[in-house]
Amino acid sequence: MLVVTYLAYFAEILPISFYLIFLKRNRGEGLWVIFLYCVLSLLTEGLFVLIQQQLVFSGFIIVQFGLFSYYFYSTFRQKNFRYIALLGSAVFCVVAIANFSNERFTWIAESLTSILVIIYCILSLYEQIKDPETVFVYRNKKFWVTIALFIYFSSTLFLYLFSTTLSREQRHMYWAINNFFEILKNILFSVSFIMIKDRSTPATMEYIDN
Amino acid sequence: MTLLDVTSPGNVSVVLFFGTIGMLALTIGLIVFIIFHQRKVIRYQMKLQKMEQDQQKLLLNASIRLQEEERQRIAADLHDDAGPLLATARLYLNENLVNLDKTTQLQSIYNAKQIIDDTIQLIRNISHSLMPPTLKNFGLESAVNDLFQKISGSGSMNASSRFHDYRERLQAENELIIFRVIQELVNNILKHSNASFIHLTQNTSGNKFFIRLHHDGRGITQNDFIKLNKSNVGLGLKNIQSRLKVLHGKIFFEKDMSQTYYKVTIELVKEEEDKLQEQE
Repeated sequence: MLVVTYLAYFAEILPISFYLIFLKRNRGEGLWVIFLYCVLSLLTEGLFVLIQQQLVFSGFIIVQFGLFSYYFYSTFRQKNFRYIALLGSAVFCVVAIANFSNERFTWIAESLTSILVIIYCILSLYEQIKDPETVFVYRNKKFWVTIALFIYFSSTLFLYLFSTTLSREQRHMYWAINNFFEILKNILFSVSFIMIKDRSTPATMEYIDN
Repeated sequence: MTLLDVTSPGNVSVVLFFGTIGMLALTIGLIVFIIFHQRKVIRYQMKLQKMEQDQQKLLLNASIRLQEEERQRIAADLHDDAGPLLATARLYLNENLVNLDKTTQLQSIYNAKQIIDDTIQLIRNISHSLMPPTLKNFGLESAVNDLFQKISGSGSMNASSRFHDYRERLQAENELIIFRVIQELVNNILKHSNASFIHLTQNTSGNKFFIRLHHDGRGITQNDFIKLNKSNVGLGLKNIQSRLKVLHGKIFFEKDMSQTYYKVTIELVKEEEDKLQEQE
């Protein structure tokens, strides 16, 4: 368990390093938002070790949701989906303000973030197959970011939902799920940062349009 | 009461375990579905593209073959008809050098003149079949009327045509293409349909230009036309298709509502015609 925990910490460094190494490849793709999220996530982990205050995590959850909302808002091409992203942000803000003093704030905010990000991911994937930018969907950097977030948040959704009912020992035990998917998420982010931009347009689709 | 409140601590582990596994399975299933669905769509589109390329190839081959046939026909006309006629005329003229009898000389000159007249007529016919003078000088309406009068005059079939709205002539090249299409269709009707009448009408609706042919013989429907276009037979139909493609036109083969007549409708967009004119 401890190995997985340490690996999860180290995995945070992976996407940050790859983003900086392949900076040129990742320009103009909105990936700086994900990079910023990775940096903030790493800093929060470090800060929590030093301060040990719940406020650090609460702040991080708000910033995290803000970053994801911005990322999806800027990558959505359909206006309706952008409105959904805005609506999701508005709902999150209302819930966050209403429950900020609540002791279950982290649980509420994290669960809501998971649900909203899963919805954004489904919309993003739908958009990517409906109106593809590249011939193969998996040659798109955006696709890997989306599936990283999709797998991470859908796998940890139940963990966050039940986190308040778990005993300290149980939480410690089940937190391995979070750590495992945290590693997977960072690997998938790294894949997105490493891969070369696919400039091939879906010629077959153009052909059909013509 | 929420789900969390009613879930007993003992069940939490089970719900959490199955919930996480379920969500993970759903997510992975969705991602796999997306990847495979996209591959399937791409394969389907590539298949469509290949079919279109094959169709283009067939049309191109048909057009080349038709061009070759036309050349062969002209070559045969010149070789088999004009060649012997001119050779005979030469013989008659040659006779003048050998035979010094005045009457015989006059007769042979007269014969040579007759043969040269025939040759001129023959060459004129070949030239007219390449480009009908009526079409060039008076337009599509006159050329079609002329063609139908000739068919009617032969007595084999009652042929009539009526142009309802043809005040502005189409571009000369386009008129020729439409005329060739009509010729090909009429030719097919004469050869295969066993019809007793054929009627052509021209109309416009908005920016669309229509030509419709009616006949009471055996005809084909759109499905037959598509099948023939995809097969290696039906050279004439492929030729029609490739000619109409130049004009971005459409052709529809159908049976009349009364199931008595066959209809062939050619549809052209006048704007396309203008665009083509601008491009030139």
